[in-house]
Amino acid sequence: MNPLNSVGHREPRVDALLRVTGKAEYTGDVKLPGMLYARLLRSPHPHARIKSIDISKAQALPGVRAILTKDNCDTVWSSGDSLGQRKLFNNPLRFTGEAVAAIAAVNRHVAEEAMSLIQVDYEVLPFVLDVDKAMEEGAPEIHPGGNLSPNNQRRREPQTYTRGNAAKGFTEADRVFESSFTSSHHNNAQLELRTSLAYWEGSKLTVYASTQGIVNCQRDIAKDLKLQEADVRVICHYMGGGFGNKNQSHDFDLFAALLAKEAKAPVKVEFTRKEDFVAVHGRWSSKQQYKIGVKNDGTLTAIQMVAKTGSGAYRKSSCDLSGTEIYQVPNLETSTTPIYTNTAVAANYRAPAYPQGVFGIESAIDDVAYALKIDPLEFRLKNMTRKFRDQTPYTSFGLEDCLRKGADSFGWKQRWKPVAGSGAGPLKRGAGMAMGMFGSALGRSSAVAKVDAKGNYSIHVGVTDCGTAAKTTMGLIAAEELGVPLNKVNVVWGDTDTCPYSVGESGSRTTVQTGDAVIQAVKDLKKKISEQGMPKGTDEVMVMVTTNPAQIQGASRQSFVAHFAEVEVNVETGNVKVTKFTAAHDSGRVVNPLTAESQVQGGSIQGIGMALHEELRYDQRSGQPLNAGYYGARIMTHMDAPQVDVLWVETEDPYGPFGAKTLGEPTIIPTVAAVANAIYNAIGVRMHDLPMTRERVLAALQGVKA
Amino acid sequence: MKKISRRLFVEGTGAGIVAVAIPLEGQAQSAPAAPTTASNAPKTTIKLTINGQQRSMEVEDRWTLVEVLRDHLQLTGTKIGCDRGECGACTVLVNGKAVYSCSQLAVWMDGRTVQTIEGLAQGTKLDPLQTAFIEHDAPQCGYCTSGQLMAAKALLNSNPKPTREEVRAGMTGNLCRCSNYNHYVEAVMAAAGTLKSGGAA
Ligand code: FES
Ligand code: FES
Repeated sequence: MNPLNSVGHREPRVDALLRVTGKAEYTGDVKLPGMLYARLLRSPHPHARIKSIDISKAQALPGVRAILTKDNCDTVWSSGDSLGQRKLFNNPLRFTGEAVAAIAAVNRHVAEEAMSLIQVDYEVLPFVLDVDKAMEEGAPEIHPGGNLSPNNQRRREPQTYTRGNAAKGFTEADRVFESSFTSSHHNNAQLELRTSLAYWEGSKLTVYASTQGIVNCQRDIAKDLKLQEADVRVICHYMGGGFGNKNQSHDFDLFAALLAKEAKAPVKVEFTRKEDFVAVHGRWSSKQQYKIGVKNDGTLTAIQMVAKTGSGAYRKSSCDLSGTEIYQVPNLETSTTPIYTNTAVAANYRAPAYPQGVFGIESAIDDVAYALKIDPLEFRLKNMTRKFRDQTPYTSFGLEDCLRKGADSFGWKQRWKPVAGSGAGPLKRGAGMAMGMFGSALGRSSAVAKVDAKGNYSIHVGVTDCGTAAKTTMGLIAAEELGVPLNKVNVVWGDTDTCPYSVGESGSRTTVQTGDAVIQAVKDLKKKISEQGMPKGTDEVMVMVTTNPAQIQGASRQSFVAHFAEVEVNVETGNVKVTKFTAAHDSGRVVNPLTAESQVQGGSIQGIGMALHEELRYDQRSGQPLNAGYYGARIMTHMDAPQVDVLWVETEDPYGPFGAKTLGEPTIIPTVAAVANAIYNAIGVRMHDLPMTRERVLAALQGVKA
Repeated sequence: MKKISRRLFVEGTGAGIVAVAIPLEGQAQSAPAAPTTASNAPKTTIKLTINGQQRSMEVEDRWTLVEVLRDHLQLTGTKIGCDRGECGACTVLVNGKAVYSCSQLAVWMDGRTVQTIEGLAQGTKLDPLQTAFIEHDAPQCGYCTSGQLMAAKALLNSNPKPTREEVRAGMTGNLCRCSNYNHYVEAVMAAAGTLKSGGAA
């Protein structure tokens, strides 16, 4: 791969100084004159009908300026569910924590006191928390028409994919294996509390949002408040993490805007940490069943996956499962059925459909490999995908190198035990691995490029930079194309008044899609300069481009990844410690190896937390969330986090900016499965349920021998 | 300084895992007899030093330290990630020790010295920790960064040459959901001059 001048070098973030001096201004840091603070009153019941709400006492409290409830607000929050039927205030209430009232007051203490003065008369309804029970005859109906959530075509049927004929594939198999796995709802838990600040100037609305996509947020707010997009300005310069929980407008943006209108003053809505856990969203849970047909030599003949996923009380996202696509198999059938329950809503969290699906298929495949006495690495090398859906070639393909080079770097031969559980106790070690892939399609984006008389360049892009270093990435791409150092490029971002369309930091699409727009903008700028010459005095030369490349015909563009984990399991306590971790990634050319390394280490460590700890639990009798917060969720800490060794497999890809492919989300895709497979190798017992807590590891061990 | 029981205060923050199910905060159906509004809330005058500057200020007894810093002194570099002692985003130094400023009442700061992220650099001269954080890409989203820096500062104050394990133990009260723990530890080791070459992955 030919070396470049700016791209491919370890560059600190362009905004790093602001981030280490406390000067980076996050949404919650913005304070406007006369600003009010808003709090939400929420349902204490998992399922209830509001008979009446009395806000008179709260209204009478000095300092209270505006109160919204279902009685005076029937605004639809269109990105709150994929059917466009979810309102800001719903009746009945479908999960513990659903919004009942929003209160703006002179300070947050008064707002909190006003909450306690609102009298709500609830008719408590029967509720259901489990996806299987929700599908039983006579289960409480959460939405009219039943608890099977309609699919993208609004039909109440599973989402399916078929190639070949699985039944025929099983008859051709020498052996057929069946197994099932579950995964839990767990939270994005970004460190920044969800907040929004809105104010009006006549009919023009400005929202300081905490969003991964300023333009999407603007579009959604305009739609729901029936405004022109040009009358909505969204600003987000720094975001304290998102991991997928905000690439649209959220209810807190709409609450802030409507309260601000009512109170005729700027209003800041603040969610507490508990509200963040129960009332924003987390990754959907799943129950997965696999049937795998295989020849004695290890050749796959058929895979069938049947799954239910837990959508929570509303359907906000696909609730799909991915994973089986990483295998070459002539006969494949998958079916996923999203189901409503009276629990927190599920939606996007870093590679939304992947780590739980990959946990299922990669655990099931691991069992097959052991049963056939084939090294799991060899089994994957034999059966890994080589063409997308066994049909379409890849634009570049680094999966085999991820597997081989990752295994070498990790020391697979030394660490993996041919006989699972054969280590001496009480601290048993084992190694596991898993693989994954993630789409890296081209798509529409825009960019503005400018130069002044002094030769200072500016690039305007509609990115937020929720932690991905997107600004720096865009700066490096522009610098490379311009042939100037990074410090000659000023990146302008985070404000819909000054930045054009970007897809938002979701789907790991910014580097490729907005990066391509930046390259085109710079090319056009150079052309314009060559025609007109450099600007003089206070003039600028400026171009704006929108790139909307046609989708690649006859080829599929994907990033690939293989993760390798070594664990130490204490068979007396059930504790699992990750002792070595290697992440091998094909994301094409890596634009900034320093910040990309942060992404891989961070995604992998998040995945280890998902594997071992994280789950939003409910009390089965009351429907109350039990551990909504950091302490109970047990997200990874400094002490839990192992060193993650990062290995780049840089394939040459003919598309994307300098051949860059997707990175942010693949980083978590195979992590959970790699840890699960390492636990199996250590103890010789298969873990079927996430998270693989100490209690579950101990219970699994007791099933064999003490 | 008025007597405010720490136990009552901590209970009031609703921290921790609940053993039995309780409704979300603010759901109490019986209202307090006499609501405390902004005007009649009990107040106390305190004297303290913040980032080297002596101040005397009147605070409401219910205000936390982080609330005073962020809302009343515009020192918004200190963040709130949970407001209940679970995450460390609000870490500041009080008399040189790292504390969660969300779990300290402002009135307890009477006579104390508080250092926040805004007071870490000497003018334009960055603290070695800040330089190392930049070079090692310690902040991703950056929301936990102020807290990580202040925790690291307290650690190096008491242990200038920590091992990797000591850094991890000393900073484990500071969560990073971006999970950039590897780079945070490397940065602290580098600032302490104890990063072995090749330490970076
Ligand atoms: S905000 Fe203080 S510990 Fe989380
Ligand atoms: S850098 Fe995002 S939480 Fe630590």
